[in-house]
Parts: sequence; structure tokens; C-alpha cells
Amino acid sequence: MNRGEILALVGASGSGKSVLLREMILLARPTAGQVRLFGEDAVDLDESTANRLRRRIGIMFQHGALFNSLTALENIAVPMKEQTDLPDAVIRDIAMLKLLLAGLPADAAHKYPRQLSGGMHKRAALARALAMDPDLLVLDEPGTGLDPIGADALDDLILDLHRSLDLTVVMTTHDLDTLWRVSDRVAFLAERRILATATMGELSASDDPAIAAFFQGPRARAARSLTWNRG
Amino acid sequence: MTPPKHRFQTRTAGTPAQTAAGFEWSTDRRRLRLTGHWTTAALDGISAAAAGSGQTAEPVDVDGSSLTALDTAGALLLYRLIERLKGDGREARLSGFDDRHLALLGLVRERLAAQADSLAALELPRRAAGLERLGRDAWEWVLQGFSMLSFGGETSLAFLRSLLRPARLRWRQILLVVEQDGVRAVPVLGMLSFLLGVVIAYQSGVQLRVYGGNLYVVDLVTITVLRELGPLMTAIVVAGRSGSAYAAQIGTMQVTEEVDALRSIGVSPIDLLVLPKISGLVVALPLLTVFADMAAVAGGMVMSALMLDVSPDTFMRRIPEAVSINSLMTGVAKAPVFAAAIASVGCYHGFKVRGGADSVGRHTTTSVVQAIVMVIVLDAAFSVVYSWMGI
Repeated sequence: MNRGEILALVGASGSGKSVLLREMILLARPTAGQVRLFGEDAVDLDESTANRLRRRIGIMFQHGALFNSLTALENIAVPMKEQTDLPDAVIRDIAMLKLLLAGLPADAAHKYPRQLSGGMHKRAALARALAMDPDLLVLDEPGTGLDPIGADALDDLILDLHRSLDLTVVMTTHDLDTLWRVSDRVAFLAERRILATATMGELSASDDPAIAAFFQGPRARAARSLTWNRG
Repeated sequence: MTPPKHRFQTRTAGTPAQTAAGFEWSTDRRRLRLTGHWTTAALDGISAAAAGSGQTAEPVDVDGSSLTALDTAGALLLYRLIERLKGDGREARLSGFDDRHLALLGLVRERLAAQADSLAALELPRRAAGLERLGRDAWEWVLQGFSMLSFGGETSLAFLRSLLRPARLRWRQILLVVEQDGVRAVPVLGMLSFLLGVVIAYQSGVQLRVYGGNLYVVDLVTITVLRELGPLMTAIVVAGRSGSAYAAQIGTMQVTEEVDALRSIGVSPIDLLVLPKISGLVVALPLLTVFADMAAVAGGMVMSALMLDVSPDTFMRRIPEAVSINSLMTGVAKAPVFAAAIASVGCYHGFKVRGGADSVGRHTTTSVVQAIVMVIVLDAAFSVVYSWMGI
């Protein structure tokens, strides 16, 4: 993928999106093939090299994966506490900024994950992913479990952050609205491989039966017209 | 340019390829030049150096032309630096900055300004201390007492209801509990009880040998084991093995909303999860106790033969003279009560789980500790009652 773009991975459930994503972020070993990260071959790395690469990646897990015993602010501070020698006051200051960047209100800072609503939970997870100012932001199903307003707001936020922080983003999603609005390019997974990588416009015009089934169903048409109407 | 006088450079952090963030004042303190990577990994120590800006009130030229990289954390520090200068009465004039760096600084300023009021109002959550903490904890205990009482009441009611319609009891579940928490506990319990018998026989043998009363080892072993240690040991092993499992199982179901799912289907979680466990354990624990008694007596017998020359044959003949069936029964009679206590404490703490994994762990630990405490307290109560009844 290219620097600074938003690439979406799509495919039916079980087509291997999450596995591919896990291999990309060095959490799972590929059984075959290779992974290249930031121009380096990323298979069979020793632990310290792998960790160095991982630091340049911010990950937002599908269910947030916030640490339950820590407040939102403490959650965001974890990567900085572990990976830098910055004084605590500075880390708190930076963590608070990330919280605001992720669109959370300031008073969410000292709440525990269980006290946050679904949308706020996702935003806190996003803020933690952004904690180290990663070069690559990985989002696993960012809109899942959110109402349409929340999902739209999250899409806006991702676009906003992508623009202002110069991020490269990889995301998996089922959400066709998100695909149309956010992604620069889309990689379509099926039959255990990437069938095509193209822009949404090109993909939705594809005559491959698997891709067509995904992008030309009734929901897809609705999502597309909606985007066009929005201009 | 005049040679920089107050120079500050942090040590290199993160990857060696990155140059650490730093800044330099010009000698007349009119010019502040930023250098290096102002990024999260390279920022170490820079904040401490936001240092005094001198006595003048003249504007400062902040020169960003040597800035090689800036991220949000760096932008935040830069913003704080500018604020600080402003606080000293000096206006900061930015020059030579990359457009993207300026945009980032703008973003930081805008986000902080938008929430300035609530940020100022935000205070750290207060931790209770001293007397307040004592009061809160005590109140917490009272509340827990009430909720345990109500759980006990609810369970008793459900039990009475199911007694009226025994066909509705979940027999399969009960048998499953008997198998998992009874039959499967046999090996570990057998080994522990055998060793317990060995230890009692050994310790009493050391004393008895002095008086030549070797045969009385049978009395000591059988009475202590049958009346006290057999039931107690069994209950403690089961509390650690099964009580914790109940708390963890129900707690996890609570986290994954399975308990709520049951309620929504119209199945009472107490009927499905609690009653079978209590009933099953009430059946299994007395049986386990009898087994533990036998294993411990066998252990005592082996040790007596090896150390005190009391042959197994003599040992067996002595047993009816040493203890009556009453001793066995008083011991076994405690088991159902222990079982009900262990199972209800485990289940109660399972339902108390809120939130996530850490809560499951906390409640599992508490359930084991409370179950063991309850077992010992109940055992003491039994002793009082028995001595009062003259058994």
C-alpha cells in the first residue's frame, strides 16, 4: 500500500480479513507468503525488531480492548508510559490531547471503560491507538456496534485525523457507507486471497461474480446513492 | 549568527536514527531555534527545559526551520512552550515552520481551546482516605450482608418451589455437578487425606510411644479424622476446586451477558445455574467426606504399622472400640451444610461480577476466601452445638 492512503480490506465473513490484519501487525505468523512493513521484510523477526516495528503501528481492536481496570486517560497513557521516559505530567498532558483529538469530552478522562458508551469506548480505543503518533493506523471493524450517527461521526473523525496527522490507515469493515466515504482504495478478499485492489468506483463496477454480489446488492446500491447525494 | 549560549539537547531516545528534540536560545534571548525530531519517542526531558526566558518583555522569534519532524505530542509541547512565554509576558512569533507543522499546531490549539472550560473544571478523582475509607468499607460490608441474605432467600424460595415440582429439577445438571465436583475430586482428595492420616498417626505416635500406649493411636486417628479433619479437609479442597469454578463460570457468563440472555428467554438463572450446583454438591460432599475418612484412616493404619508395630489387623479390630457410628455420622452430617455454603458463596460472587476480566478474578478470589472462612466458622458452630447436645 502507499503512504498516506486509507486502504480498506473487505470480504465476506470468514474470508480472512482479520487473519490478514493480525499478520500485518505481527500478532500472528503467516503460514505462507510474506509481509513487508515500512519497507522491511517482517516475517521471522526477532522479538526486539518486531517490537520496534510494532511501535510504529497503532491498533484499534474490534471490541476496543481497553484495559478494564484503568480509566480512559490511563489507558491512553499506557503505550507512552511503557515506551518513553517522559515525565508523568507530560504523559497526562499528551494523553488528554489524544482524548480530545479522538473527539471525547474532557470529563470522560477519568471514567472506566464500563462507564463509557459504545461510541465513546471506540473513541477511547482510537485515542490509545494514536498515543504514540503511529505511522500506520490499523482499525479492525471501526464502525461495528455503533448506531448510524455514531458510525458517521467515527468516519468523519478518521478522515479528519487522516488529513491532519498525515496517517496511513488500514481498516477492515463491512460498512458500505464507510467504504464509500473513507477509503481511498479497497482490497477485496475472497477464496483465501486478494481478488482485487481498486477504488470503490472501480470495484462496484466489477463483473467478477463474488465482488458483484458484495457491491451490487440492495444495501450497496442504497449506500452508493446516499454518498452521491451527499456530494 | 551568534553562537548559542543556552543550549539544550536531550539524550537520544528511541531509534538511533532519530535525532532527539532540542532547542537553542540565542545569546540575547530573542530567538529560539527548535531542532531535531519533536516526536513522542524523541521528546524525553524537553519539557523540563522549557526554562526561563530571561527578564525582557520583548517578543521571541521561534524558529522552526531546523525542525525535522513534528507530531501531536511535539506540537503540544510547542504549544505549552508558547503559552509559557506568553505567561512571561513575551509574545511568540513563529517563523520558518513547515505548513504541515503549523497546521498541526493549529489543530492542537483548536482542540484544547474548544474544551478549555471543562479541562479547567476537571479534577483528579479523589481517593478516600482514613476515616472516610473506613466508613465506606463498613457500609460496603453491611450492603454485602444484605445482598447475600437476599440471594440466600431467593435461592431458598427457588428450592422450595422446585421441591413442589421435583420433575422440574434439572437432574442432568445435578448429575453433571456430582460427576465434575464429586467423582473428579476423588484422586486429589484421596491423596491429601491419606497423607493427613499419615501425619496424624506419626505425630500422635511420637507421643504415645513414650507412654507405651501404642494402640491408642487408633483412637486418636479415627476420632480426629471422622469428627473433625475429614469433613473439614474435604470442604476446603472442594471450596478451592469447585467454589472458585462456580464463581468464575457464572462471572464470565455475567460478563458475556449470558445471564441476561437466560433471563430474557424466561429461564431463571437461579434455577438453571445455582440450584443444580447446590443440590449436586450437597449430594457429593458427604460421599466425598466418607471417602476422605477412609483414605485418612488407611494412611493412619499404614503409618501405625510402620512406626508403632500396630498391625493392620489389630488396627481394624480396635476401630469399633475406639469410635462409634455416631462419630462418623456427626462428621458426615456437617458435609451437606458445608456444601450448601460453598456452592452458594461461589454462585453469589459469580452474580456479583460487573465489568470485565479483572472483576471475574477478584470475585473468584473472594469467593474462595469467604467459602473457606465460612466452612471453618460453621465447623466451630457445629462443635458448640454438638457439645451442647452432648454428642
